[in-house]
Amino acid sequence: MTDAVIEARGLTKVYRVHERQEGLGATVRSVFKRTFRDVPAVTDATFRIEAGEVVGFLGPNGAGKTTTLKMLSGLLYPTAGEARVVGHVPWRRNGDFLRSITLLMGNRTQLVWDIAAADSFRVLQEIYRIPEERYRSTLAELTELLDLGPLLHKPVRNLSLGERMKVEFAAGLVHAPRIAFLDEPTLGLDVSMQSRIRRFVAEHNRRSGTTILLTSHYMADVVALCKRVIVIHHGRLLYDGDLGQLALQMAPYKVITVALRDGAGSAVLDELGTVVSRDEAQVTLRVPREVVAERTARIVRDLEGSLTDISVEDPPIEEVIDRVFAGEKLPEAMAT
Amino acid sequence: MIGVYRALFLQQFQVMSQYRVATFLYALFSFIRPIIFLAAWLAVAESQGGRVGTFSRADFVGYFVITIFVTHFATSWDFFEFEWEIRRGTLSPKLLRPLHYLNYAIVNNIIWKLMTSVAVIPVAILIAITFDARFQTEPWHLAIGIPSVLLGAALNFMSGWVVASAAFWTTRVHSVVTLHQRIGFIFSGQIAPLSLLPGPLLAIAYALPFGYVLGVPADILRGGHDLPTALALVGGQVVWLAIAIALYRTVWAAGLRQYSAVGA
Repeated sequence: MTDAVIEARGLTKVYRVHERQEGLGATVRSVFKRTFRDVPAVTDATFRIEAGEVVGFLGPNGAGKTTTLKMLSGLLYPTAGEARVVGHVPWRRNGDFLRSITLLMGNRTQLVWDIAAADSFRVLQEIYRIPEERYRSTLAELTELLDLGPLLHKPVRNLSLGERMKVEFAAGLVHAPRIAFLDEPTLGLDVSMQSRIRRFVAEHNRRSGTTILLTSHYMADVVALCKRVIVIHHGRLLYDGDLGQLALQMAPYKVITVALRDGAGSAVLDELGTVVSRDEAQVTLRVPREVVAERTARIVRDLEGSLTDISVEDPPIEEVIDRVFAGEKLPEAMAT
Repeated sequence: MIGVYRALFLQQFQVMSQYRVATFLYALFSFIRPIIFLAAWLAVAESQGGRVGTFSRADFVGYFVITIFVTHFATSWDFFEFEWEIRRGTLSPKLLRPLHYLNYAIVNNIIWKLMTSVAVIPVAILIAITFDARFQTEPWHLAIGIPSVLLGAALNFMSGWVVASAAFWTTRVHSVVTLHQRIGFIFSGQIAPLSLLPGPLLAIAYALPFGYVLGVPADILRGGHDLPTALALVGGQVVWLAIAIALYRTVWAAGLRQYSAVGA
């Protein structure tokens, strides 16, 4: 436990927001007398992340993911609690700390819109004091991984969203940070570009050992990149641990989908598991993991005449996470 | 730091060269306003037999020609953009780089002034020649006046950023910055040479920082003060600049604690 590069203890952020009822009267009153409400965005978050880990930060909109990332990157002062990132208190924004991190936000640009990305990279080289040789080799590696060659010399405003995101990644990583905070990095990208970005993040982590804390609404990002997830909801951490284990505990079943010729014999399936959907030709049922092999064999045997196809799958991870967000209680041993 | 500034200068030059027409049109602001006030004061002087107080017709031309230069070099308005930096979320990435945010604004200002000088300087010279401007400038006026313009520029820049930092609390800070500018408009010597202001207004102009931005350097450059007065006024600029820097550091640090990164 000595290699923690990110440590948060009791991290709390409360926003003070102006509140007003709808209607003209309330609007006029609010001009003279403002009412405010404290909104807790993150409450008592405690966790530690080791060097080189890729951790997924999961939660619905407004759960507190981005606020946590902003505190850890030093953008926001917390209301309470402590944090150390690569040995620094983030919100003091010490120069060494800032040279060790990057925060990439999907749909937000840090590049100058009107000029070529290559020119912005040169500015970053100077700001981060990157020696010429290291700058060239890092940029060459990023160019290879992200296929940036044709993009570097176009004005940023002329790039598509996907192209711009690739260039943003390069801008965020050109100083070879030890920690990368990625906030919805694939937001708005098409499926192919999402997959490309995922492969890049995985490969970059493998090559450079950069610690990555990632938020994403696309579960595919999390499944592809993160062995460990931290689940946050209403500002509180609900789970911190292995993603596979979470799925196993929250969804202790598999999904068997059976295709039948003319639906014949489907009544038998009611006895073999919990039917979750049924139409003329296909029945889907949940079966406890420990009896999956035996039930699958029975289906094949009992429906031999009418069975046209069968598949056995884990429940989609979205379903598992939905159940956590919906307030289903985590097994006690798993809750943070 | 030299490397950082060189790179930022090049970047900003590239950005501005993308928008040549807009850059030129913004440059018009530097001389349109002094020309309007020059025309008004010339009309007043004509109606009073050619003089207003100690100013002859040619003195007014000299003063407002110099005001064109001083307005151009000493005023900045990039702090108007600050609220948009917050609302668009472009401030956050800059705050996370190991370079103080103000450096970007300094570079933007300098490059803007240099590029638009190409338009402003010939116009000012043309007006001086056409309207027969009179200057009483001696070499020592230049030796003190040029640093005075730089001090005025620094004072305007820093005091503007003190006001603009209110955006950390209010987000929509445009009105606050505009109010600051309008007060400056009255007391800075833009409407009239400071020495023509009525007694109470003149006292206020010298008690507040505004007069030290434009009026003081313009009066020194046109030869309107003797040496002891000029040195005392430059001393006033230094004091106000020190106050503005101290205030900026305090307000900025407090603002960062307040910052909620709403746009990012």
